[in-house]
Amino acid sequence: MADTAKPRRTAAIVGGNRIPFARSNSAYAQASNQDMLTATLDGLVARFGLQGEQVGEVVAGAVLKHSRDFNLTRESVLGSTLAATTPAYDVQQACGTGLEAAVLVANKIALGQIESGIAGGVDTTSDAPLAVGDDLRRVLISLNNARTMGDRLKALAKIRPGQLVPDMPRNSEPRTGLAMGDHQAITAEEWGIGREEQDELAARSHHNMAAAYDRGFFDDLVTPFLGLARDNNLRPDSTAEKLAKLKPVFGRGEGATMTAGNSTPLTDGASAVLLASDEWAAAKGLPVLAHLVDAQTAAVDYVHGGEGLLMAPAYAMPVMLARNGLTLQDFDFYEIHEAFASTVLSTLKAWEDPAFCKDKLGLDAPLGSIDRSKLNVNGSSLAAGHPFAATGGRIVASLAKMLHEAGPGKRGLISICAAGGQGVVAILES
Amino acid sequence: MATTVLDGPPNLAALYARAALTGRGRGGDLPDTHLARRGVTVDRDHLAAYARVCRLPFTDVLPATYPHMLTFPLQMALMTDRAFPLATVGLVHVRNRIELLRGIRADEPLDVEVWAERFAAHRSGATVDLCATAAVAGEEVWRSRSTYLARGAQAPAGAPEADVEVVVGALERPAATWRVPDDAGRRYAKVSGDVNPIHLSGLTAKALGFKRAIAHGMWVKARVLGAVANRLPEAFAYDVQFTKPLFLPSTVHLATGQVDGGWDVAVRNAGSGTEHVVGTIRTLEEKH
Repeated sequence: MADTAKPRRTAAIVGGNRIPFARSNSAYAQASNQDMLTATLDGLVARFGLQGEQVGEVVAGAVLKHSRDFNLTRESVLGSTLAATTPAYDVQQACGTGLEAAVLVANKIALGQIESGIAGGVDTTSDAPLAVGDDLRRVLISLNNARTMGDRLKALAKIRPGQLVPDMPRNSEPRTGLAMGDHQAITAEEWGIGREEQDELAARSHHNMAAAYDRGFFDDLVTPFLGLARDNNLRPDSTAEKLAKLKPVFGRGEGATMTAGNSTPLTDGASAVLLASDEWAAAKGLPVLAHLVDAQTAAVDYVHGGEGLLMAPAYAMPVMLARNGLTLQDFDFYEIHEAFASTVLSTLKAWEDPAFCKDKLGLDAPLGSIDRSKLNVNGSSLAAGHPFAATGGRIVASLAKMLHEAGPGKRGLISICAAGGQGVVAILES
Repeated sequence: MATTVLDGPPNLAALYARAALTGRGRGGDLPDTHLARRGVTVDRDHLAAYARVCRLPFTDVLPATYPHMLTFPLQMALMTDRAFPLATVGLVHVRNRIELLRGIRADEPLDVEVWAERFAAHRSGATVDLCATAAVAGEEVWRSRSTYLARGAQAPAGAPEADVEVVVGALERPAATWRVPDDAGRRYAKVSGDVNPIHLSGLTAKALGFKRAIAHGMWVKARVLGAVANRLPEAFAYDVQFTKPLFLPSTVHLATGQVDGGWDVAVRNAGSGTEHVVGTIRTLEEKH
């Protein structure tokens, strides 16, 4: 069949806004997801003069979300300075949420269904939703359904002291019971990722981000919030030597390499990105930093299939590259989310590995290596911290600005791993 | 005029105790005293608690009603002082007008000052205005006027007529229904320090002549602000009349109407339609 596809339009990235990210139970301990997302939307609105305006759609989400926040994004829009007639919906794809939200908005723009949209994400690990245990929940439901006093007493009599301890949300996989870090420790060991290279990558992330702050790179990407002007996880004076002194927290024995220094901490924060058609941006006199060219998701069977929990981006990448006729080397910037330093390193190693690329990815030749000097040049999650759903928006806005500064025709690649064995990758082009 | 500068906030519970003990009020004219605090910084945890209890957004900007948290204790100190002519117990808050002259950031130290003025004649007694102002580095950014009614009290000869009415347009369509719980008074008292017994429980309210505990007027005012907080100009006047007590618990309707230059608002009982609060919010075009 002849290829009749018309050249489709791609969504422009106009700009972004985020609040500085804060380590759990620090500056944002009293702020809710809705407080943070609303403040972030308002900052974006102020930056681009959208007060009282209706945008096509606002798409955002949170990974740790209370059930009363079922309409978190719409509620945040109603509390923001955007027009109350702006539609919104929530998405959740673990750490992929923010990038997936941007892809959803970009796709609707590409299809002509909307002319503008905001993609975002927010997470708090401080104001986290506690749930009552399943046993107590069942008792409370039967209590609520009881018609007579006798039935109510019978229901109440089923409560045991142990049930009163709430379920804390944990950063662990429901099907394996392993923390994400424990999963990644297995992957790191399989790929032979050393302690030293992890600590070096972590130190470089801090240095790159500190330098970016110092030269004002984040001035039009970050709005101070609750007294915080920079990410408070950022350690400009971090060194590989200092990081080498930390004790491993994931993995066991001799082979354990993952520490609190080369793993991201629990973090609170929010981000948002403004996307639009070129026409809409031009009509408003707003800049176009880059376009979101394409994206791809993948998932791996980390439960029974023997693949690493965070290796899905490795699978998504060749599919997207092939569709766009590109090689892994055809990019000016690489943004690989640093869930753990070893995630970045095992992903890069997998793409260089002929056996993995042949057996797992079905490729004739490995994707090959990348120029490391183009990787996370303004720092990534190890420095900024990682409020799960907010990371995608942080990366998209920063990369779009980098590409714009580098000039037209530059390409950037995003790779984000997510809980549940999923991954999202995307291409941006200026 | 004499200005007394205090180092810290007066203890409101102690002031209420003093008010209950010293009883009846001295009569005569209003004192000329101003009470002030300089360089007051906002405690963000308190701001967060205030935002939560009033359902206001928690950001770096103070809600227009928040500086009242800083000025009300000073006003109470003034009202319970023996120089104040009216008995504090039994004073009814009937009107509050706040003018926000510009947005105030939570990290700006505030100089606050309060005084009493406008002793006025009212058909059922006398009213007095407790005024307050807040400034940042010499620039006035906020002011407030709380009118209190003392039933049965006598204004001095030649006093002006009381001015307690706020007029709003027809507001027929409720925008929201609020279930105001039994403990709404206790919850706001915990944050604001306003432990007036009429708000705390049915029993303590009965002792002061109310059939049930009543909600704090300034809490209702702040909650209404929360409903329109993101649809306001930078500088505005927010004027409300507390018409009838909001007994706890209650279900009430908030009605809002957009008018030229701002909003008209009303809070009414969902069943009886009794009006608890009516108010206007209007853009302030220029600073006075």
